Amino acid sequence: MLPELSIQTWTLIIAMVTAVTCGLCGSLLLLNRQAMVSEGLSHAVLPGLVIAFLLFRSFSSPWLLLFAAGSGLLMVLATELLSKTRLVDSDAGLGIVFAGMFSFGVLLVSMELRNVHFHADCIIDGNLSLTPLDRMEVPGLGPVPKSFVTMSGLLLAALTFILVCYKELKVMIFDPMHSLRLGLRPRLISYLWLSLVSLTAVAAFDAAGSILIVALMIAPPATAFLLTQRFDWFLYLSAGVSGVCSLLGYFMASRMEISPTGPTASAAGLVFLVVLVAGPKRSVLAEWLGRGSRRDRMRLSLAAEIAGSVATRGDAERAFERTFRISDGAANRLMEQLLERQLVTCTGGDIDMTEAGRNEVRGQLKDFPGSAANST
Amino acid sequence: MAFLELANDYTVQVVVLGSAGIGGVSGALGCFAYLRRQSLMGDVVSHSSLLGIVLAFWLAFLITGESSRSLWVLMPGALLAGLASLLLSRFITRRTALKEDAGLGVMLAIFFGSGMMFLRYLQRSQPRVGGQSGLDQYLFGMAAAMTKADLWMIGVLGGLALFAMTLTWFRLKLITFDPQYAAGLGLRLGLYEVVLLSLLVIGIVIGLQIAGVVLMVSLLIAPASAARQWTSSLGSMVMLAAVIGAVTAASGAFISALVGSLPTGPVIVLLVTLVFLVSLIAAPGRGLIFRYRERRRVRVA
Repeated sequence: MLPELSIQTWTLIIAMVTAVTCGLCGSLLLLNRQAMVSEGLSHAVLPGLVIAFLLFRSFSSPWLLLFAAGSGLLMVLATELLSKTRLVDSDAGLGIVFAGMFSFGVLLVSMELRNVHFHADCIIDGNLSLTPLDRMEVPGLGPVPKSFVTMSGLLLAALTFILVCYKELKVMIFDPMHSLRLGLRPRLISYLWLSLVSLTAVAAFDAAGSILIVALMIAPPATAFLLTQRFDWFLYLSAGVSGVCSLLGYFMASRMEISPTGPTASAAGLVFLVVLVAGPKRSVLAEWLGRGSRRDRMRLSLAAEIAGSVATRGDAERAFERTFRISDGAANRLMEQLLERQLVTCTGGDIDMTEAGRNEVRGQLKDFPGSAANST
Repeated sequence: MAFLELANDYTVQVVVLGSAGIGGVSGALGCFAYLRRQSLMGDVVSHSSLLGIVLAFWLAFLITGESSRSLWVLMPGALLAGLASLLLSRFITRRTALKEDAGLGVMLAIFFGSGMMFLRYLQRSQPRVGGQSGLDQYLFGMAAAMTKADLWMIGVLGGLALFAMTLTWFRLKLITFDPQYAAGLGLRLGLYEVVLLSLLVIGIVIGLQIAGVVLMVSLLIAPASAARQWTSSLGSMVMLAAVIGAVTAASGAFISALVGSLPTGPVIVLLVTLVFLVSLIAAPGRGLIFRYRERRRVRVA
């Protein structure tokens, strides 16, 4: 038996579980270059949701989830079909299909459901504050909010999927051709995953509304992408950042006394910006603190390398002129810069790279995954 | 005859005229977004402009003490926010290894998320102002709220955008179809890209009034995609898209006025999607019917 939790605690828990699930779902989409599919999905589930509601007249029917997820998949299929005809650009196809489906849903809502709490606002905002009220008995746990049960189920499903297909996913994402050669079925895996994403988008719909789904599916994985280059860490970080965003959003919302949807989305965006500007690696700030921009440093190390490969200062400067297409004056200044930073030495017209110069070149190459500098 | 009465009603005339203008402008400008494969960019810009609209409204409220829904107040905010989101997403894709779609998605979180946050906050903290402000209508569009002043604004901005488009026509054409060649000719690519983006943002922002931030992408892209099926020349594509946009927007606004409770945006979007589907199926020399027949003809022969 769980201790009796307050409504606020439950709201926060549901928000976090939703966020983490969305973050995981989005992480694979992001790597597959399908980020905007989540924007489409979050809109396209609406008609399915409304039709199922009109048919079964209940918000709790599991059919709602299935119908809506089905209509999400329908959107993915329709977009794929459209782009296969090669008559329309695939991005345009996505935009037209999801906007069309969403419009159909909104019209159904405004024609048929005017008196139900299924108001147009809920489509965008969701209704997180109401979700803890709808409870169900779970053996051993006591009454638990239904959306908590659904969301944790989906989180489990997503985790299981990732664990079971971990290797397959890795190959699929980083080398699609190789996965075909291995006899994997990338389309099957991708569709399974998209179904899961679609289900998540629906389940998150009433807790989060359509803005939050997109925001949580794209922004936290994008943040994680800036922080790491390893697949496993990318997944952990996506989930972690989503959780942090939902916490932040929840507290912002309670300060402003509004629904947490907007604040959480906004927090997800802000966290991304903070990491972009002040993150540990390659952020704007990190480069500003280090000497010069990335491009300038690259240029200097390239210049050092060139200087190391020729005999005299004159040769080096002429090589700079050709390589960087600069004037002889600029080449001279570049050489002065190299000498000043002691990347090269010049004794009586003979030029040579210093140990510091070699280190600098190696350091620059290290930023390229798979470069020779990494293997030595 | 409710139909005739409505057609003679002054407000309805304003609304239908305004919608036609908006549809025409966004249809024409949308062609460039479509051809440059920047369709989803339109979606993100329109979502993002919500932040600008809400902040401009708030600022105006703080300064003047009354709630103004005038487009002259809201439009600059929307334009700034739309452009800001575009430039920021371009900065992100250049600066990091993230792909374009991810950059756009993050903009949704930042701009649309914050826009919704401030909108709801405004509505809660200033119920008298926020609740009746009608800012909500920017979510799904409500053409019925259009006034004669708005009509002027739409006319001036839309006209300016179209004028600028014709003025820079050949350059825009060049950077749309062959940017490398344009750069080779010494054309200032960056400058004209910004010009084109600004035009698009104008087209999007005036369209928000009828389509709303959520559905604007369709009004921008669907006429262009439909027109593309019928013609292969840029000039006729732009004109056809403008006509499709204008007719569907006007009839959508009229239907929405006729039925009353229907939000305008979805009606227009469904109409324009229908036109797109018909074009896809029936366009001569390219459409699905043509393709089917061609395949049979080849098989028989």
